[in-house]
Amino acid sequence: MIRLLGCVLVAGGGAWLGIQASARLRDRVTAVSALIHALGLLRREICGRGRGLPRALEETACQAAPSVRTFFERCVRACRALDEQPFQESWRQLVHELLELSPETLAQLEQLGEVLGRYEEDIQGRALDQAKECLSEELTRAKGEWERMGRVYRLLGLAGGGFLVILLL
Amino acid sequence: MLPLALRGPALRLSEGDKAVCEELRLRMGQPLAAVLPGGERLVEGTEVTLPLLEQMVELACQASLHTVLDSLRQGYLTLRGGHRMGVCGTVELRQGEIHGFRTLASASIRIARAVSGQGNWSGAELLRPDGRLYSTLILAPPGVGKTTLLRELIRRAADGEGMAPQRVGLADERGEVAALWQGRPQLPVGRRCDVVEGCSKAQGLMLLLRAMNPEILAADEITAPGDGRALLTAAGCGVTLLSTAHGQDREDLMRRPLYRPLVTQGLFQRLVTIQRRGETRNYQVEVLS
Repeated sequence: MIRLLGCVLVAGGGAWLGIQASARLRDRVTAVSALIHALGLLRREICGRGRGLPRALEETACQAAPSVRTFFERCVRACRALDEQPFQESWRQLVHELLELSPETLAQLEQLGEVLGRYEEDIQGRALDQAKECLSEELTRAKGEWERMGRVYRLLGLAGGGFLVILLL
Repeated sequence: MLPLALRGPALRLSEGDKAVCEELRLRMGQPLAAVLPGGERLVEGTEVTLPLLEQMVELACQASLHTVLDSLRQGYLTLRGGHRMGVCGTVELRQGEIHGFRTLASASIRIARAVSGQGNWSGAELLRPDGRLYSTLILAPPGVGKTTLLRELIRRAADGEGMAPQRVGLADERGEVAALWQGRPQLPVGRRCDVVEGCSKAQGLMLLLRAMNPEILAADEITAPGDGRALLTAAGCGVTLLSTAHGQDREDLMRRPLYRPLVTQGLFQRLVTIQRRGETRNYQVEVLS
């Protein structure tokens, strides 16, 4: 009985690991998609409503999906500490902690920090559009990876668990 | 107002110096300087750099340059508390107009303080029998206190202090009278005062007239023919006018083509001239019509 229970646990553990790995890929897709949407909101606030950056970030944080909300809330806090650190430096640090992104997307987002709040509205709008474009490519890659590797991870987890059971038996 | 790197040393100025400090001056590569009544005093242990100047501008505009570009193109920004930051450096011209700054070279922060120069002057000569203000023009040379008196009259009228309470519309082109910061006046202009800033006085006066139904329209420093025309239109609508002009006295006013029609066409009923003697100011009221 104990043996059987052990087998089930090992097999279940393996499957769980595979599912977790697959879920991480799915979460990344969700987060990148949420970030694209949030940058769209930020663009609307800055270019459409002419709002200052702190207010625009606040609005974005309120309306953004939970996966990226914290990032924008931390950006708002960075705006309240401009005497300590310029916004672009805070943005750079926060972007690095945001998501696992490709170096190109990361570089594009870093550049966005150099433009936000420092140029005319249309220039900020263009920088936001470029960042969104770059993130869209990242999203396509992330979706592809999830579809391709998600199933592989799940199967690997299950198979790995089964293999361990056989080995231990 | 200052980045941390400069704030610490600036706060080490003596309490006496801080109480009378008029301006802070920041020039690239130089130490921070405090402008005191006796002259400039350098703040040791500081060096102004380009990143610090840029950080100051960012701080002043709350990382929202796009919201203050028009003001920055004029060379200044209004800060919280009514203080004013002036900047200069290498400008970028587009079609002959200043579009922005390529590089900053220096900045100044003018520290706003309440000036109690009116003493006990009640301004009773400016009141109609029903306690409302006559249309009044304040005349004085630069730096004597025209804007301060204008602000005080606006505040008294808007708060109903010593006169009947009235709705005041203020066209504050350069943000020197009310100094709006995020929509809130940083200098006292009273409870019933509506402020328009960031546009020409003429545009502001017309906007106020259309939108806010003011009983008094106020604008600082009539400098363009358009301002005079806008005041003329407003006077035609039965609104009381409050404004200021550079000049010594009535004769000086009548010699200048921009101001002469304001007097001859009966726009203003009272003229206040200010004379400064040391720290005290004398106010003389003349009846114009």
